[in-house]
Amino acid sequence: MTMSRPNYAEISVERLTKHYAKVRAVDDLSFTVHAGRVTGFLGPNGAGKTTALRMILGLVTPTSGTATIGGVRYVDMPDPIRQVGAILEASSAHRGRSARNHLRIICRAAGLPDQRADEVLAMVGLNTVGTRKFKGYSLGMKQRLGIAAAMLGDPRVLILDEPTNGLDPEGIRWMRDLLRALAAEGRTVLVSSHLLGEMQQLADDVVIIAAGRLIRQGPVAEVLGSTAGVARVRVRTPQPDQLAAALRDAQLEVTATPDGLLQVSGADAARVGHLAFTAGVELHELTGESADLERAFLDLTAGKAGAR
Amino acid sequence: MNLISAELLKLRTTSLWWIFAVSMVPLYGLALGYNWLTTSVITEMDVPDEGPFGLISMQQIVSNLYTSGQFAGVLLVLLLSAILVTNEFFHLTATATFLTTPRRELVILAKMAVAVLIAVTVWLFTTGLNLIFAPVALSSTNNESFLGESFVWQAISLNLLVHVLWALVGIGCGVLIRSQIGTTITLTVLYVVGTQIFTAVFAVLANQVDEVFMQLRVLVPTLASELLVSGPQSPEDLPRWVGAVVLLAYAGVAGVLGTLITKRRDIA
Repeated sequence: MTMSRPNYAEISVERLTKHYAKVRAVDDLSFTVHAGRVTGFLGPNGAGKTTALRMILGLVTPTSGTATIGGVRYVDMPDPIRQVGAILEASSAHRGRSARNHLRIICRAAGLPDQRADEVLAMVGLNTVGTRKFKGYSLGMKQRLGIAAAMLGDPRVLILDEPTNGLDPEGIRWMRDLLRALAAEGRTVLVSSHLLGEMQQLADDVVIIAAGRLIRQGPVAEVLGSTAGVARVRVRTPQPDQLAAALRDAQLEVTATPDGLLQVSGADAARVGHLAFTAGVELHELTGESADLERAFLDLTAGKAGAR
Repeated sequence: MNLISAELLKLRTTSLWWIFAVSMVPLYGLALGYNWLTTSVITEMDVPDEGPFGLISMQQIVSNLYTSGQFAGVLLVLLLSAILVTNEFFHLTATATFLTTPRRELVILAKMAVAVLIAVTVWLFTTGLNLIFAPVALSSTNNESFLGESFVWQAISLNLLVHVLWALVGIGCGVLIRSQIGTTITLTVLYVVGTQIFTAVFAVLANQVDEVFMQLRVLVPTLASELLVSGPQSPEDLPRWVGAVVLLAYAGVAGVLGTLITKRRDIA
């Protein structure tokens, strides 16, 4: 629909900072979002995710630092709707206006043909309710309308703030499949969420922030590996002292809990079971705790949410 | 042009415009009826046409008749223009608007263009009806139509100017105040009872402090508007164009200041 353009674009955030009267909402934040991948933007509530996204989109002016998409600031783009599609939590339509008219207004302002509105409505499955007023829309329908608006200009970059909020499991699955498909087409997808399990299934990369600062950035597997790559195993035994000694002899870290449980890190369940068998210790429970994004996230952001 | 088209579509796709249009009809009817009645009363009293400084001249009666609906028309234009802006914040559509058009001053300019279009439309509506009903009212009171007189056409043209200037004031105030309810109430109060309140205030100041305050009351937008429409009412009054300049200054200052603020303001 447009002339030749690079079919990929990175989002580049460099030393982005936003100070409000007393709060550093975003503090010297730098990260890169790659094309063709879904990047999860994670952080506790109030970490500055929304402020950072709004600065990338030119809605909030940074105190210092820059954010560019494909090397250009959003506010300098002559046709931003064709480059970047965005869904923000607070983005909304006039209650008394139909979804179709809401989209047609954006088409007019962006110089897109009116029928694009009908095309994207069909794409998100709202074509039969496009003439219904926005106030009659359910939360799920509003999120779909948000996606429709974001896709109007067939953009190569998508920025979504909590897009699964208010969606039912089916809607979440739909959103996940859609975002994965869009990334597979080579688009850049940056999506913030507090649903960590959701992000583990969806994201290729994660950017984790807390108190406005970058905590960790990288592929999901790498971030998991760096914090929780060391497997943990939970063991229950009637002979805890004997087992702890045997495990420590094997250079494993062991923590005893008062109720007779042992927490072992540095080995998987098979190794712990083997060591117990060799030492002749009876086991009543042996549970491997798998590394997950949620625990990695909690470990990484522990104590930082309130530190501002 | 894309942005103006988008703004017009925004206006057409909610119920706001026809609520305003519907309320305009009875308000116009009231204004016409009042002016008609005045014309008939004054004609019966047989007031001589004694020029611009008389108690109430025939010229002024006829001008009022040909600009019937001005008070309500300007009020509706003012409010609708302000709401064009405040709606974006009230309904949280500012995010979508400024994502589509990051150069926010262009959005404000498009809204000004639409406000001027609204002003012209309202003026066309009342003027069209006035050109039908005013001659009827005049002939029913045994007067000629005065349509050949230049003062009638001057009044009609000034009526247009006043509508347009207030539309710009409305946009400027909407941008500055931003709160839908706050803007609506402020503008309505200022427009409807502001004239009386400020006339009283300036009369007291002139009486107690210095005569110069009587001249300064033209700084009140409604009084500037009145000066522009009716012309000087007494020999010490300022000329008409001062009223136009004051209104234009309000529209300009509010518009420019509001646009600068809108450009800098965080949309969150």
